[in-house]
Amino acid sequence: MAQEHSSKQYDLDLEALRSRVLEMGGLVESQILAAVNGLAAGDNRVLEQVITDDHRVNAMEVSIDTDCSHLIARRQPTAGDLRMVLAVIKIVTDLERVGDEAAKIARLGKQGHALARTPLAAVKHMGGIGIGMLRKALDALARLDTVAAAAIIREDVEIDEEFRAIVRQLITFMMEDPRTISQAIDILWIAKAIERIGDHSKNMAEQVIYVVKGTDVRHISVEQVEREALG
Amino acid sequence: MDHLVLRTVFLIAGIAAGAFLPGLLFGATAGVIFFAGALVALLLHHIRHVALLAQWLNQPQTQPGQVPRGSGIWDNVFALLYRYERVKTQEHQLLAKTLVRFRQAGRVHPDGVMILDAENRIEWCNDTAEHHFDLSLDSDHGQPIANLLRQPEFIAYLEACDYSNPLELRAARTSAIILSLQIIPYGDAQKLLLSRDVTRLEKLESMRRDFVANVSHELRTPLTVLSGFLETIRELDLDPQRVQDYSNLMVEQCRRMQCIVDDLLTLSTLESAPSPSLDERIRMSPLLARLRADAEALSGGKHRIFFDVSGDFDLLGSENEIVSALGNLVSNAIRYTPDGGEIRVLWRATADEAEYAIEDTGIGFAPEHIPRLTERFYRVDRGRSRATGGTGLGLAIVKHILNRHQAALDIRSEPGKGSRFAVRFPPRRIVPAATADVVAQEMP
Repeated sequence: MAQEHSSKQYDLDLEALRSRVLEMGGLVESQILAAVNGLAAGDNRVLEQVITDDHRVNAMEVSIDTDCSHLIARRQPTAGDLRMVLAVIKIVTDLERVGDEAAKIARLGKQGHALARTPLAAVKHMGGIGIGMLRKALDALARLDTVAAAAIIREDVEIDEEFRAIVRQLITFMMEDPRTISQAIDILWIAKAIERIGDHSKNMAEQVIYVVKGTDVRHISVEQVEREALG
Repeated sequence: MDHLVLRTVFLIAGIAAGAFLPGLLFGATAGVIFFAGALVALLLHHIRHVALLAQWLNQPQTQPGQVPRGSGIWDNVFALLYRYERVKTQEHQLLAKTLVRFRQAGRVHPDGVMILDAENRIEWCNDTAEHHFDLSLDSDHGQPIANLLRQPEFIAYLEACDYSNPLELRAARTSAIILSLQIIPYGDAQKLLLSRDVTRLEKLESMRRDFVANVSHELRTPLTVLSGFLETIRELDLDPQRVQDYSNLMVEQCRRMQCIVDDLLTLSTLESAPSPSLDERIRMSPLLARLRADAEALSGGKHRIFFDVSGDFDLLGSENEIVSALGNLVSNAIRYTPDGGEIRVLWRATADEAEYAIEDTGIGFAPEHIPRLTERFYRVDRGRSRATGGTGLGLAIVKHILNRHQAALDIRSEPGKGSRFAVRFPPRRIVPAATADVVAQEMP
């Protein structure tokens, strides 16, 4: 971080920790991207790959958690360093959940061969927003950019609105033709999974603000968060 | 140095000699007091100059000020220092200028260039690299590259340390770009990361793959029909009438394959032949008359065909090619317009621009097909055009011919309403129409 420690190794350890989280983030990003693209193209091979690769995300979570506890035990970090380690522990949990959502999307996409095109296009659009939020959250962590982090928290409102629109659309489908119900429920699960990705990205963005500013911005209004991030 | 010491010795000797006089006049004590006082004055002089030197040395290195001026031996010392300082400043300016020039050269490089240090941190990159990876050097300087380029494929490539082959990657932030990345280690554990936009190459490659697949597919369909009939005739004992029918169908399929092969050969000739010269004159009025006769014959009276000609100008170029291109557009219009429809051929020529346009009231097509319409074997509707007997190469040939004549093809269409194909020729290919006697002279 900003100030150098007398032990160079300590700095390197902290830097390596952040890099490993971002590496895990990259893996999760590619998992989500593959799941959404595979779903849109109906490519089962890609979806299968997403499901088999999920264990890599899980393995990274365990390994980074171990790194964190070693770092706390060995260096007893304080102030900004401690906040970084605490934030990493939480971000890793969020990332692992996003990885699970990717596997869930892949599993649902694999069953439904004939998912209806119209709502699927909406789901793909929503997937694009979700992937964008995750990417921006990780960028904000890499750059320790609180302004970008605050923008992500605002974007979460947008993805929630998108989700509600898809739900309305699906309800119309189901009322018109009850035979589409099982299919519509599958799509609903997928949309919900993407909506959760937005929530997790928002959590990560809040942790970035916590690392930099030292204030906890969970469970407060977007306007307040923005004031904290800019101030 | 020696003469500085010598000067100091002489100065002290001078002071001693000077002290001798008050010593003689007022006694030894006065001489010693004078001597000591002069030495203290000398010491103060030195201390003042040392302080000046220290003050100068203490300035920030980035903008050294003027070297102080001194007196006595310090003048010599400061003069040396001044000279040294001036040489250094010149060298520094020269180096800075060279560095700026190199950076500028790197900036305008069409490929992305990024310099990474031993820990893979971003040290410098040019504008193209900023665009490719969507980052900004100002804010991301010193950031480990893997923190921003997080794709697992890239991290694996970076860590594998085997950079003999480039890595193809879809850019994460601007997903429309496909990049070819290459790392080149150099110097003291530094790395050069080159990125090149290969989106176009990738597209061409996929077009080539599609082309081969399409050719095989187009030829296989008639071939399957042909071999099917041949097997039937060989295996079964058929009456002569059936054999006759089958033979007719087989001949038709052979003709179809012939057409495709002919068109492919035409295309390949057009691709390899040099651009048509400006010497050959194409007389437009007989050409239009011929197009009209061909159109009416092809339509067989099922369409209303209008020719609207204005402007007495001829074209320069290859007559065979232009006839084939313009004729192709007319026959397309007739084929894709249902019976009773209307086809309007316009020829408007001035000295500055000549336009040949065909409007029909045919079935038309959606605008999204327009950019791909002149691709080989591109079909708006797979079933439809084969039924009307097209090879799928007609518009590709037209496009090629027009390109060779520097003419532009403008396509507009609306499904169910009809289409408009317009060809515009550049001024250098337009000449006033030849009068009959000039033509008579030209044609022996």
